[in-house]
Amino acid sequence: MLNTVSGPAFSPDESVRNLIEFRSAGSDPVGPQPGRRKVLVVDDQRLIADTLSEILEGAGFHVKAAYDGWSALDAAGRFHPDYVLSDVLMPRMNGVELAIAVRKMFPAAKILLFSGQAGISNALLEGQKQGFEFELIPKPIHPLKLIERLKEQ
Amino acid sequence: MEYGRSSASRNPQAGTPPPSLDPRFHLAAIIDSSDDPIISKDLKGIIITWNAAAERVFGYQPEEIIGQSILRLIPPELHHEEDEILRKLQEGQRIDHYETIRVKKSGERFPVSVTISPVRDDTGRVIAASKIARDISDRTKTDETRYRLAAIVDSADDAIISKDLNGVIRTWNEGAHRMFGYSAEEMIGQPVLRLIPRELHYEEDEILQRLRSGNRIDHYETTRRRKNGDKVEVSVTISPIRDQSGRVIGASKIARDISDRKRIERLLVQSEKLAATGRMAAAIAHEINNPLESLMNLIFLARQNCPDGSKGNRYLLTAEEELERVSHIARQTLGYYRDTGSPAEIHLHDLIQNVLTVYNSKLISAGISVDTRFDDLQKITVSKGEMLQVFSNVIANAIDAMPHDGRLAISARKLMNAGSDGIQVVVRDSGTGISQENLPKVFEPFFTTKGDLGTGIGLWVAKQLIDTRGGQISISSTTEQGKSGTTVTIFIPFALSGPREHAIPA
Repeated sequence: MLNTVSGPAFSPDESVRNLIEFRSAGSDPVGPQPGRRKVLVVDDQRLIADTLSEILEGAGFHVKAAYDGWSALDAAGRFHPDYVLSDVLMPRMNGVELAIAVRKMFPAAKILLFSGQAGISNALLEGQKQGFEFELIPKPIHPLKLIERLKEQ
Repeated sequence: MEYGRSSASRNPQAGTPPPSLDPRFHLAAIIDSSDDPIISKDLKGIIITWNAAAERVFGYQPEEIIGQSILRLIPPELHHEEDEILRKLQEGQRIDHYETIRVKKSGERFPVSVTISPVRDDTGRVIAASKIARDISDRTKTDETRYRLAAIVDSADDAIISKDLNGVIRTWNEGAHRMFGYSAEEMIGQPVLRLIPRELHYEEDEILQRLRSGNRIDHYETTRRRKNGDKVEVSVTISPIRDQSGRVIGASKIARDISDRKRIERLLVQSEKLAATGRMAAAIAHEINNPLESLMNLIFLARQNCPDGSKGNRYLLTAEEELERVSHIARQTLGYYRDTGSPAEIHLHDLIQNVLTVYNSKLISAGISVDTRFDDLQKITVSKGEMLQVFSNVIANAIDAMPHDGRLAISARKLMNAGSDGIQVVVRDSGTGISQENLPKVFEPFFTTKGDLGTGIGLWVAKQLIDTRGGQISISSTTEQGKSGTTVTIFIPFALSGPREHAIPA
């Protein structure tokens, strides 16, 4: 699992280019390290979830990946993420439903939805009806831009 | 024979001729065998004689009517005619083919053509009148039918034309005048080929051939030419006209203008195509953008494993740039912006100002002066992402049209339409303009006048977004030297149309 990569703590505020260094995977760190912000990355396309996890880890975030809404919700309960970056259209539980559940659990967590597809307005509208608005960014997004967006949050 | 006749005529007063030669018998026989009623009356209007035809037509026996007033044969409201007739008679005038109405014994009225002549005595004094009244019911009926048909033909919206078997036009109704622009005077006697575009002249031969063999041609869709040279799409029905013996002597042609119908058909086909394209785009978006996202991440990661400045790193950098291009096209075409962000209440001019800021350096380097007039005091609910794309595309086109100086005028104002208030934005450039033949195509996908530099999707996407929002976008342009330029007018109503359903593939 990429989210088990360990290494020295990186501040996400440092220049991304300097941060990207790759280390051999070590043992699972015990709990979050101070100063490292936690990102929960959710995408049913495992390749996307895994590559993003690796990139964000490299950029100094502490990352957990999940491959559907339910397991993400489960992980969120234990992980207490600062950020949730989630795909929208996923089986079992979509990104909007996940985002609503996470917001109820961790009102302080920043939530960013991303999607590769038009036609998700229905899912978003469903959220709006319940009084929830989430920021949505289009896929593909360049990793550096994504990192910037997360830092803005 | 010749001798007998000449002797009779030469000796009219030579004593009393034998009855067989007495002209009075002849005249009486002629009068009684006449098909037309022949009546005589005195100057007071009292009937004196009444022939067999009068009996048959009016229904009165001679003994019933002789001695009665002629007024019995005249409808009450026309009694005044009799005074006039009597006056003229007393002056010795003859009244020829006077058409009026008379009444039968049964009370039935019928049209007659009357000829009235004075009857004189030996001294030449008018003492009575003879009256020949021809029943013209049949003729009137035929005439009426004809007038009625003519009125119908002339009030028809369709062009109704008749021609002879040589293809020469014989009749031309008002509808034909309206449809083709030629008046009846201009066209009667002219070959029907004048209405047929040159490349379709062969049609006329086929038509005439089928007509000669007595066949009818139904709802044949073709193109004809107006006086001003414009083409008109018509549906034509051609039927043979026969004479009494059944011989085909010509053809009637009914042409209906189906330009509108054809245009709507084409629009329908096109909007079907666009809807299908849209559905396909939504489905493809998922399958394209997700792998693109993975690729971008993988290349980014791979670059981290290549030393800076190494060949591998440079290749990957180029790959990343190429991927950006693909992503850009995918975003534009696959309708991503439709769904980014929920609608927000904004001042449209703020958004336009943002776009202008983005293009500021381009505007300056091309030497374009910008003139804005914003009177849209009311906020409007729009999807910011969508509107940014609309105005970026329109303004980028304007800039591309003015590579060496120019003037970009943008105005926004509130427009009050019956039932639909909204904001109207007009973007006008003084650029090269778009030729008339290209103008109708600018909203089609992948149509571009910019050669390799254009993708042909900007205005198409803009139109889709505006249509979805319930607004309208239109374009006008001229390439005329000295005043060339293009004007794009966008209207967005304040009222929101319902969110459009997109198919969501599983």
